[in-house]
Amino acid sequence: MRAGPALAGLAALVAAALLARHTLSVAAIAAALLVVCLRAPASRRRLYLVGTLVSALGLFVITPFVETLGSHPLWTGPIVPVLGQLDVTREELASAALNALRLGAVGLAFAAYALLLDHDRLLQAAGFARRSVLAVALATRLVPTLERDAAGLVEAMRGRGLEVAGVRRRARLLSPLLAGSLERGLSLAEAMEARGYGRPGRTSAPRPGWTVLDRVALAGAVAVVAIGALWL
Amino acid sequence: MALARAQGLSVTYPGARSPALEDVSLAIEPGELVLLLGSSGSGKSTLLRAFAGLVPHFHGGRFAGRVEIAGLDTRRRRPADLAGTVASVFQDPEDQIVLTQVAREVAFGLENLGAPPAEIVPRAERGLEAVGAVHLLDRPVAELSGGELQRVCLASALALEPALLLLDEPTSQLDPAGAEALLELAAACGAAVLVSEQRPRPALEYADRVVFLEHGRVVLDAPAAETEGWLAAHRPAWVDDPPPPERAPVGDVVCRLRGVSFAYRRGLPVVDCVELELHRGEIVALTGRNGTGKTTIAKLAAGLLEPLDGTVELRGRAALLLQDPGRYLVRERSDEEVALSAGGDLERARRSLAAVGLAGVDARHPRDLSSGERERLALATVLVTEPDLLVLDEPTRGVDPQRKAELAAELRLHAPERATLVVTHDRTFAAAVADRIVSLDRELVPV
Repeated sequence: MRAGPALAGLAALVAAALLARHTLSVAAIAAALLVVCLRAPASRRRLYLVGTLVSALGLFVITPFVETLGSHPLWTGPIVPVLGQLDVTREELASAALNALRLGAVGLAFAAYALLLDHDRLLQAAGFARRSVLAVALATRLVPTLERDAAGLVEAMRGRGLEVAGVRRRARLLSPLLAGSLERGLSLAEAMEARGYGRPGRTSAPRPGWTVLDRVALAGAVAVVAIGALWL
Repeated sequence: MALARAQGLSVTYPGARSPALEDVSLAIEPGELVLLLGSSGSGKSTLLRAFAGLVPHFHGGRFAGRVEIAGLDTRRRRPADLAGTVASVFQDPEDQIVLTQVAREVAFGLENLGAPPAEIVPRAERGLEAVGAVHLLDRPVAELSGGELQRVCLASALALEPALLLLDEPTSQLDPAGAEALLELAAACGAAVLVSEQRPRPALEYADRVVFLEHGRVVLDAPAAETEGWLAAHRPAWVDDPPPPERAPVGDVVCRLRGVSFAYRRGLPVVDCVELELHRGEIVALTGRNGTGKTTIAKLAAGLLEPLDGTVELRGRAALLLQDPGRYLVRERSDEEVALSAGGDLERARRSLAAVGLAGVDARHPRDLSSGERERLALATVLVTEPDLLVLDEPTRGVDPQRKAELAAELRLHAPERATLVVTHDRTFAAAVADRIVSLDRELVPV
């Protein structure tokens, strides 16, 4: 399948997850996206899945304490400045679960986009805003690049007889990682300019035509959004 | 008429105290191969960037004089406008790859230049064919080795069919056979070529003319045939083969690899049943073609990787210097960077910096150092640990001959204190520093 219809499918699932009102419907969409993500190699998908899980769980835990909803308290806590009375109601838990699943679905869709889609083909397919599409494609590659750089830094530290263990020591690597990625960004920008990027009159290599599967996927994407808005 | 010409060119980067180039005048004729020599920081990369128009447009700073490419003044034309007439291959291939698949990466420049769509794929394929990499066409770039990436970058440049090809140390990651093949290809591609190199020997055979830069000034601009004599008389470190080291008596075994095998992917062993002993007092050079597992053996010996099969016995502490000096830049000051490996001992760190020729850079930010200085800083961060086993992976990459000789002397001086394993493509350096050379091109002989 071409990258364009595949991206449309992922975007449709995200839209459906955000439009759907029933927790089970959103859970089913998230589960479908998880199955898609599991097609990526285990070593590459781990970071994305852990990041999505932590974000979704964080939202699930925080939401009941900052939301004021419902009349069936399950727990009543102390009064906290700014936040007021802390309590957790059944309705707040249901709302937290729905929003956490929505965030999970968005995270999993991004993971599928980053891990499985061919970003070069997306760039080729972009008929307009090519600079923005290229910027997004390069930014998407930042995650695996940073992961590789972090592994390199840790390896170099071990080569110096230093073990990088614990959250604090790992956190200290963030600044050199950021500095390194900025340096790399500058080098890449220089190389792109030297290769004529930004010159008017750009052309594209011929692309294969749309297949039946591509057309079906695009129609399916539209249908998924409609179903999400009307029935889920 | 010259294809490219620099007249009275002076360049000072923003914030720099001294100019990177000073009053440089140079002309390049069509089809000519000009070899650019000079020590680290002599201005070679700046000159190449000036011919690509990247200096001053991309880097800024003060620019005096004039550079013309095919009659176009680089002050009035942006680098993107010069692309196609000029094509560049930079030092680090990883920093110039834009797309994720080889065929599309090679086609990227052609698309930018507005090549007719029907011509893009055939020209990309011809570029890859020219560098013997057409088999890589459908491969993801993330799976390529450093040498393969270098060839893809060259293919991307050749696909543009430029009149002037600018190559910045293109052989630094290649084994000798790969380096010669690349230079032969550059010489035969039909374009004028300006190539900077730290290893003059193979490049001299293909060059028509040689330009030697020092402190931003041209000190030699002569036909290649006259260059060897000039270098022998004025810069002997660039052509003289250093004498082999006197063999010192070896001590106890510091590291022993017995029947060691390792694979990054199941079923694809990178090293298989390796036997190697490293003794205190000796320097062993590990050589071999790209992809023969030299770096993996270095990591196994230093304890950074666990063998899948066999055993690695290490008596004492090991330190490993990896290829990329960027991995050693985690602190804000150079002395603190080195002290990090020495339990915070700043005095020891400063001594170690001085030992690698970096006295006086203590307070400078490591990222403000030049690439050659970064290499030396990285070396200081491992030397300061005073290891029983010192493992160096390609320590002469991007290092000029003078500095190589100094590094060899430094390693020889401290050889009795430790066992040293040097992974290198550089045959001259291996001969100058090693008591024993182990080649992975042949079967590794048990010692």
